[in-house]
Amino acid sequence: MSESTTAASSGTGTAGSNSPIPPSRGMGPWVGFGLAALFAWAALTLDVPQDRLLDLPERLARLGGLMFPPDAEYGRESVLPAMLESIQMAWLGTLIGAVLSLPLGLLGARNLFPALGVPIKALLGLIRVVPELLLAIYLVPVVGLGAFAGTLAIGLHSVGMLGKLSNDIVESMDLSPLEAVTACGGGTLENLRYAVMPQVLPEILALWLFRFEINLRASAVLGVVGAGGIGAVLLNNLSYRRFDKAGAVVVVIVVAVLAIDALSGALRKRLVQS
Amino acid sequence: MAADPITFERASVVYGNGVRGLDDVSLTLEPGQFVVVVGLSGAGKSTLLRTINGLVPVTGGDVRLGATSVRDARGGDLRQLRARIGMVFQDYRLVKRLSVLQNVLLGRLAAVPTWRTLLGLWPKEDVAIAQQALEQVGIGDRAHVRASQLSGGQQQRVGIARALAQRPSVILADEPVASLDPITSHRVMEDLVRINRELGITVLINLHFLDLAKQYGERIIGLRQGKLVFDGRGETVTDNDFAEIYGRAMTDDDVLTESS
Amino acid sequence: MSADGSARPIESGAGPTPPPDPWRARVRNGVVALVLGALTAWSVRGTGFDLGELFSNLKQAQRLIDDSLPPAWGFLPRLWDPFLETLQIAYVSAVVGGLIALPLAVLSARPIAPLRAVYLVSRNAMNLLRTMPDLFWAMLFASAVGFGPFAGTLALSVFTVAVVAKLLSESMEAIDLGVLEAVRASGGGWFETVAYGVLPQVLPQYVSYLLYAFELNIRASVVLGLVGAGGVGVVLKSQLAMFDYARVTMIVLAIFVVVLMIETVSEFARRRLVGEIATGRR
Repeated sequence: MSESTTAASSGTGTAGSNSPIPPSRGMGPWVGFGLAALFAWAALTLDVPQDRLLDLPERLARLGGLMFPPDAEYGRESVLPAMLESIQMAWLGTLIGAVLSLPLGLLGARNLFPALGVPIKALLGLIRVVPELLLAIYLVPVVGLGAFAGTLAIGLHSVGMLGKLSNDIVESMDLSPLEAVTACGGGTLENLRYAVMPQVLPEILALWLFRFEINLRASAVLGVVGAGGIGAVLLNNLSYRRFDKAGAVVVVIVVAVLAIDALSGALRKRLVQS
Repeated sequence: MAADPITFERASVVYGNGVRGLDDVSLTLEPGQFVVVVGLSGAGKSTLLRTINGLVPVTGGDVRLGATSVRDARGGDLRQLRARIGMVFQDYRLVKRLSVLQNVLLGRLAAVPTWRTLLGLWPKEDVAIAQQALEQVGIGDRAHVRASQLSGGQQQRVGIARALAQRPSVILADEPVASLDPITSHRVMEDLVRINRELGITVLINLHFLDLAKQYGERIIGLRQGKLVFDGRGETVTDNDFAEIYGRAMTDDDVLTESS
Repeated sequence: MSADGSARPIESGAGPTPPPDPWRARVRNGVVALVLGALTAWSVRGTGFDLGELFSNLKQAQRLIDDSLPPAWGFLPRLWDPFLETLQIAYVSAVVGGLIALPLAVLSARPIAPLRAVYLVSRNAMNLLRTMPDLFWAMLFASAVGFGPFAGTLALSVFTVAVVAKLLSESMEAIDLGVLEAVRASGGGWFETVAYGVLPQVLPQYVSYLLYAFELNIRASVVLGLVGAGGVGVVLKSQLAMFDYARVTMIVLAIFVVVLMIETVSEFARRRLVGEIATGRR
């Protein structure tokens, strides 16, 4: 931002010598106006029933009233097993993502392997764009309905983000021990084991845990396409309008996610401090 | 222990960007010598050291350790050659998150099968060698501390111990005291002298402080723009010689302290 | 570092550190490995994880590929309107959610919140919002207001609030607090302090988080339709129900291209805006 303002001021001083960039400050209001107009158009043409917007609070309150108190017995008998399945999917999916992303994270780091950086980063970027749900749509016909398909979808999708952030971690490390290990007669493997891994492993483990937290939420929605987990339970109960049972799902997922986030967050903090 | 002379035969290094790091240097370093290399920064001191263990490959001529040509060494041969040469760095180059002992064990990398080193299963003998190396530089009691918790002087001793653990015939020291204060500098220099005398290891050391060079250098080599411009005994070197090497008069910045 | 190392001889430094008890480390590592191993074994059993199954089902895979390729290119023109709706949902909810997130972030930033009680309530409410996945919000809103893009917009607005308020409150906690004191010292009240001391400092991050939320919304909005909350996912769901994988693949390809394009533009804008600050947030 400051770059363009200096360019602009020097441009006015030397009367258009070499400053073709228009002053950015002059653009600001236009951009703002454009975005606001776009919002107005998008909001007005979106299919929003006026009456529903007005009685939204009332409708939400009514839904809340139907959901609470939730069906506790159903929660224990049916929701909890589905939640555990979601946790299992998230754990295993994270593990798959971690195992696949680690080599890509190392090989794609520009400071270690300059030639591989661009293709690997491009590959990781492409993986990141395809949501788990879309991957699951293709995995379900191959391996059948159920948690296995969801686990694979989570694992594959995780590779993109884990690989990219591992690249970033490796690229910000201290390179100086590499020369020392080489001078001791170490090759590429020894360098990775002793100069690279000790430096990056705590951050990468913390990253994996963070991804586990994200995957827990992802695994909860995969049931929507029949790929296992708690998502199908919520969808079914809502579509049959069994709101007290849906309430049980909401309670279970909120409690489980809060608990696992807290645990994982504490572990991550310890890892990064060490 | 050491029996291999280091021979430079018309060695030249031209970097990818066209900079001449080393220009037609011919030189023989006898086993067991304590040699100090002086010159302005950019004169090629670091390049000279790194051609000996192949961290910088020569682009012309050759460097030999004993009968082994560094130029022709590849892969496993080059790694075995490097195992015979210890190296100490200005910025220590320790893996700060590992313990002191683990850092020193890196000196045993080439002597231990790769599968063992990758799994961290160091043989007892090699752990004993590493511990002994730490005791030789007087910090045996710090073996299990994290490297990052040590002071600069202690970290440099770990760097020296790592080189010693290689059981090398040569130690290359690239500005080993440039990041240290005067008192610690002298301690580290004395460690290197003792290693040279007691273990008979050839020591080749880059320094930019002339008083240190004069005080410790058995033999002094001067480089200027990659060329060998001086080669003489430490006690006979004069301020005039230094002025010649540097191409300018001496200043206070070129000496560490008046007293030691 | 070197200065204090030299001030005292090394001998008088800290006393010798005893070698760590190897058994304690081994027992600890063993317990950690056991717990992680048990967790993994339990997950393998629970999810029916079997890589062999992946390879024994090659026939199904072959049939799926045959069904999916080539994509039904002729279907592409019919995707225009649903895609437009998807983009509208993502954009409207980024703006609405972003505007709601701003005051919530101010209240959730510890040094800026007017009262500690307000801070606690606001921060916990924010964390509670974040526990539910975006599609769950979509299902709940669809139950409350009926199927359609309105439910999707509400869901993603809540989701945007959660993401932006969290990131923004963290940025606010990291600002230079000296400026706040300066504004207060010159007679500014709480509102002036926030308006002149806080907001200018976090404005670039705020815009960058809005863009980031917009990217997340795009990715989420393409699948909202699977639970009846509008956008291109509605079409995806109906074609999926008919097992028309040639059309499904067409939709997935189109989603892929659109998301990639928007993310590239948005990421470029974010980088220009705040350089590296935003990129570390992913």
